Amino acid sequence: MTSLATRLGSGVLWLGLAAAPPAVLAHHSYAMFDMSQTLTLQGTIRDFQWTNPHSWIWIDVAGAKGPEQWGIEGMSPNYLARRGWTKHTLKPGDKVSVLIHPLKGAEHGGSFLSVTLADGSVMRQSGGPPPASSAP
Amino acid sequence: MRKSVACMAVLLGAPLLGLARAATADTPAAHPDLSGVWEVTLGVRTRPGPRRPEAPVLTPEYAQKLADFQAAQARGEDQETPQANCVPPGMPGIMNQPYPMELLFTPGKITIVIEAYSQTRRIFMDGRKHPDDPDLTYNGHSIGHWDGDTLVVDSVGFSPDTALGPSQGYRHSDQMHIVERFRLTAPDTMEVVTTIDDAKALAKPLTATKVLKRHPDWDIAEYICEQNNRNRSDSQGKAGIILTH
Repeated sequence: MTSLATRLGSGVLWLGLAAAPPAVLAHHSYAMFDMSQTLTLQGTIRDFQWTNPHSWIWIDVAGAKGPEQWGIEGMSPNYLARRGWTKHTLKPGDKVSVLIHPLKGAEHGGSFLSVTLADGSVMRQSGGPPPASSAP
Repeated sequence: MRKSVACMAVLLGAPLLGLARAATADTPAAHPDLSGVWEVTLGVRTRPGPRRPEAPVLTPEYAQKLADFQAAQARGEDQETPQANCVPPGMPGIMNQPYPMELLFTPGKITIVIEAYSQTRRIFMDGRKHPDDPDLTYNGHSIGHWDGDTLVVDSVGFSPDTALGPSQGYRHSDQMHIVERFRLTAPDTMEVVTTIDDAKALAKPLTATKVLKRHPDWDIAEYICEQNNRNRSDSQGKAGIILTH
């Protein structure tokens, strides 16, 4: 995991081991993600792809060795749209903090857990507040 | 259409209570209304029993297929399912997706519009039998009838290209036979008991129960898996992820 440790810059906060919630089954295996780890990315939204089979959040963060672009895979618009999300939930230029399960390798990618928007509100795959514990 | 069906039900003296509405023109007795958009729930139960799904009990031949699959996975192969490449799972997996399905009732036929992978099942309610020698397909050939308040759907003709589940290592044969029993347990709650037998693959029938919730305010949405699929696996089934924006 040294590759993870060394790539951490000011925009990448390593949270270490966390209790992984059960993944919502989508169309592929989550074996590529390290579901025992969580990582917080602080940066600026480059693009929010409101597409199937997954939404993708592209975020620019300040890495240890310079700017990094991360790709974060989330549930499909079909799932998210029924839980309070729209294609406008994230816009290019938004300053956000994104919680992810990172890829096991050194590539800059991960599986989406939640995003904290500039106004402090939090969106999870299950929707916005109230928190996930009370979501269906 | 709905008005005419309702009028017929009145003429026949059928009760027009919330749960009972004439479903099709050729089934004039009032049946429970199973129409609408339904989503499989997680953790909702309608009957006592073990929480964990029953594991398939395989014949020796199919237990060997599972062992071979697990050995391949241990070598790093077969990590992914065909669904990573946008191939629909077929039955029974297509009925267990994290996206909803819509049940449509028209004369002589029930159509299940499944959002995931944009799939469709047709359940013939016109009294026909299965073909003697059905073409083998992912979702099979389905005929249905009412057993009291329960819709019973009988399906055969499955391609062995698809998995039985819960993993790709659990295979079924062209002899797979599925019986699904759909029943309302509350106005917007439906239980589906699925029983699978397969003389070649299963040493004993496999039964699973799931609960679906009706969402009257939902519509089925488009799902084009190939639109932005970044999860293609290679020819050895190794998982991949494309991170070029």
